[in-house]
Amino acid sequence: MNDVFDRSPCLADLLPGPLLEQVCGHMAALLEADTALLDPAGRVVWGTPAANAERSPLVLELEPIGHLAAPVAGSRLQAAAALLRDILLARHRLLMASRLHVESIAADYADLLEQHAALQASEARYKELSAELEQRVAAQVKLLDERQRQLYQAENLASLGRLAAGVAHEINNPIGFVRSNLSSFAIYLQKFAALKERLNDAAAAWQALEIDYLLKDGADLVTESIGGIDRVARIVGDLKGFSNVDRAEEEVVDLNENLRQVVSVLQGQLPAGVSIDAEYGQLPRLLCLPGHLNQVFVNIVRNGVQAIGDSNRPGVITIRTQAVDGGIEVSVGDSGVGMTPEQRERAFDPFFTTRDVGKGTGLGLTVARDIVQAHGGRLAIDSRFGFGTTVTLFLPA
Amino acid sequence: MPELDGARLTFKLVYYGPARSGKTTNLMRLHDLVAPQLKGELMTLDTQGDRTLFFDLLPMGFVAPSGLLIKFRVFTVPGQVAHDGTRKAVLSRADGIVFVADSQVTEETNNAESFRNLAENCSRVGLDFDRLPVVVQFNKRDLSPILAEQEVRQRWAGVSWPLTFATALSGAGVAETFALLLRALYRQFDPELQLSDRHGLDEAAFVAGILP
Repeated sequence: MNDVFDRSPCLADLLPGPLLEQVCGHMAALLEADTALLDPAGRVVWGTPAANAERSPLVLELEPIGHLAAPVAGSRLQAAAALLRDILLARHRLLMASRLHVESIAADYADLLEQHAALQASEARYKELSAELEQRVAAQVKLLDERQRQLYQAENLASLGRLAAGVAHEINNPIGFVRSNLSSFAIYLQKFAALKERLNDAAAAWQALEIDYLLKDGADLVTESIGGIDRVARIVGDLKGFSNVDRAEEEVVDLNENLRQVVSVLQGQLPAGVSIDAEYGQLPRLLCLPGHLNQVFVNIVRNGVQAIGDSNRPGVITIRTQAVDGGIEVSVGDSGVGMTPEQRERAFDPFFTTRDVGKGTGLGLTVARDIVQAHGGRLAIDSRFGFGTTVTLFLPA
Repeated sequence: MPELDGARLTFKLVYYGPARSGKTTNLMRLHDLVAPQLKGELMTLDTQGDRTLFFDLLPMGFVAPSGLLIKFRVFTVPGQVAHDGTRKAVLSRADGIVFVADSQVTEETNNAESFRNLAENCSRVGLDFDRLPVVVQFNKRDLSPILAEQEVRQRWAGVSWPLTFATALSGAGVAETFALLLRALYRQFDPELQLSDRHGLDEAAFVAGILP
């Protein structure tokens, strides 16, 4: 600033060209004489001073900023000078006020710019923070995903272990009797060898060696062994459905077949007092990950078996399948202990389990629901405490 | 820095302080107290309901033995918080400050706020607040409740600025305040301006030039 504002007032500032002409012209007309405006040093600013002119000083602050000169009576000249001074004073106030106004607007504007810059800086900082936050969230999510996968893997391994134990038991039984049958058959064959040496007395030897019995029982042994071998072959076939859990390849299957395999595999592990009642309705073929769905069925059926075990009374697992509008519905019910409303509420929570440490991971239903949802389906639980639980599964076909 | 222009040396002085603390009243009483040949008219600009909107200006001066016209242009700023831009503009290039505080205990916060604003604005307009001649006046001593002089002095014991107490409405303390500012100005600028060596002005004469 501070040209006009901080400087003492001067004629050039207060009366610029046109205004000087106008004001002094009026003044000369009023005084009816040769009028002149002089600067503090006596130099002419406007007009032509008469030789016999009187001078009257124009004082705004302390010192004169000029003189009014005209050859008129003293009182008249002083009145004219006072009028001119009032005009100059008004101009002085106006100039100072407007100059200050401009200055204060500029100061306010500078403040605004400063605030704006500060706001922009803060916005940039927040953007940076938010980006960083997103990265950190993404990293956390990735970590959680990894953990979840590891747990899922662990759960898979655990159920595969249990499955293996059951299967071993199942296979051991037919293997045992097939081996025993084959041993007996080997003795029978020795008896046929002995018969050959006594062919001269064939009739007596036939009798003594109980050949009739050997022929009949031998045939029975072979039939029974073939049955056992078939059973082993079936179990192995059923197992195939589980062998590709981690090979996630989509296939078009009849879900009833999968359930049959699951039931067949689990049948051997059922504790005393638990039976499975399965009724399979006609189903459309379904494009799915059969290994994963088998996992779901195993989890749910095994839960039912455990719930019946917990109730300390015999019970039935009821499996029903049916085609419904838009898809397939599978329900697995048990007549076990059921869930309290609180347990029902948390049933899908990862790691929520009512079992002792080491007996259950609390992931069975969580994994089941995840798999069903991955197929675009729904999984619902209906449970009454003390009466049993029914898990209903809908898969869009 | 005071402006030396031919045979004229002009000091710019500013009465600063919160709204309604009595800055304009100080100038009006000062106008009454100073001898007629040494002052111009008090220019009061556009007041709105007794509040200063732009500024007041009181020109005063005297002639040193050397013939140098020593001129003081004394301004007030608008105290209201909203007029900070105007305050800054008036404050710019000031050579000395009187801070007029309202003694009433209810105004303590406003005083503190305004003083902080003064310090801030000084740095914004490029004035070195620590070197600037400043006098702090506690005005409105006739009102209550107020803190006793002794207590105010204790509270401000750590600062270098001279404190004065005034009732500007009746004129008490107004001249004393201005005299303190003149002394502070003299001490600050005498070395550069050679007021005593070249212009025959000692500190007492510098004060007596305006306040006989």
